[in-house]
Amino acid sequence: MTFLSALLAAEPAHATTAAVKGAAESSGPLGDIIKLFGSFGVDGPHLLIQLINFAILAFILYRFAIKPALGQMEERNRLIEKGLADAQAATQRLAEAQKASDAKLNAASDEAAKMLADARNAAKAAVEAAKAEATAAQTEVIAKAKAAIEADRVKMMNEVRGEVSRLVVETAAKVLEQNLDDATRGRLNEAAVKQLAR
Amino acid sequence: MSAASVRAEAKRLLALSLEAGVVSSELVGAVLAALEKSRSAHQLRPLLRAYLTNVRRELARGEARIEHAGPLSAAEADAIAAHFSKSLGRTVRPVTRRNDALLAGFRVRVADDVTDLTASLRLANLAKSLS
Repeated sequence: MTFLSALLAAEPAHATTAAVKGAAESSGPLGDIIKLFGSFGVDGPHLLIQLINFAILAFILYRFAIKPALGQMEERNRLIEKGLADAQAATQRLAEAQKASDAKLNAASDEAAKMLADARNAAKAAVEAAKAEATAAQTEVIAKAKAAIEADRVKMMNEVRGEVSRLVVETAAKVLEQNLDDATRGRLNEAAVKQLAR
Repeated sequence: MSAASVRAEAKRLLALSLEAGVVSSELVGAVLAALEKSRSAHQLRPLLRAYLTNVRRELARGEARIEHAGPLSAAEADAIAAHFSKSLGRTVRPVTRRNDALLAGFRVRVADDVTDLTASLRLANLAKSLS
């Protein structure tokens, strides 16, 4: 039998006291134990009341202090876990966003490089086209200039030739006019009449 | 009178003025006398102008206008006219004019036809061929 069961099974105080006294008076192990507790000031009924008080106090503490505190702690834990989860999700989203940003940056960089290459190619093509056009224009100008020079030369030669011919003919006409006498002209007229008759 | 009717009337008058295909001065005088009597002055002016043009053209058709440098005898002029009379099929009489600017030879004009056998034309052709 335990000590508590012994207390619960004990009789009222006076009976207990009496019992204790009886037990003390009696010799045996139980009597020795009760005598020992009694020497320490442990009284059975007081102990019971104290236990009841302690239980009430424990219940009140549990009901109004510990339980709300535990609820708050659980809420805090839940909030902390939620915060951690959110932070992790945010970190993940951040990583994803960073990844997407990197991908976009890479894509933009590739696009920019492609556009730059296209622009360079277009500029090169434009330069080549301009060069070809300039060369063609230059060739055309040179050809036109050559043709104009040749035409001028031919025209000048024709003019010189015509002028020389005119001068020669004019000179010949003057010489003929001065040197032809009527006798010669008469012979020429006669020859012309014969030519007409043929 | 319209211009067309004037031309037709002038042509008819010219036909009345020909004798054996040649303009006759007597017939021309008769035509003019008849016109003077039958037409008023304002009608007569355009008709006479057209008639004169026709007569001149007809006379030119019967003339060989010979421009020559140096002397050209009458026999040579007649030979030239005979040549054109033969080729044109009508009588052509020579009309000569001396022009020494032609240098030598002669130029014959019958109506609108010109035959040039002058040294000046030869020289002009030579100059043209050389230029």
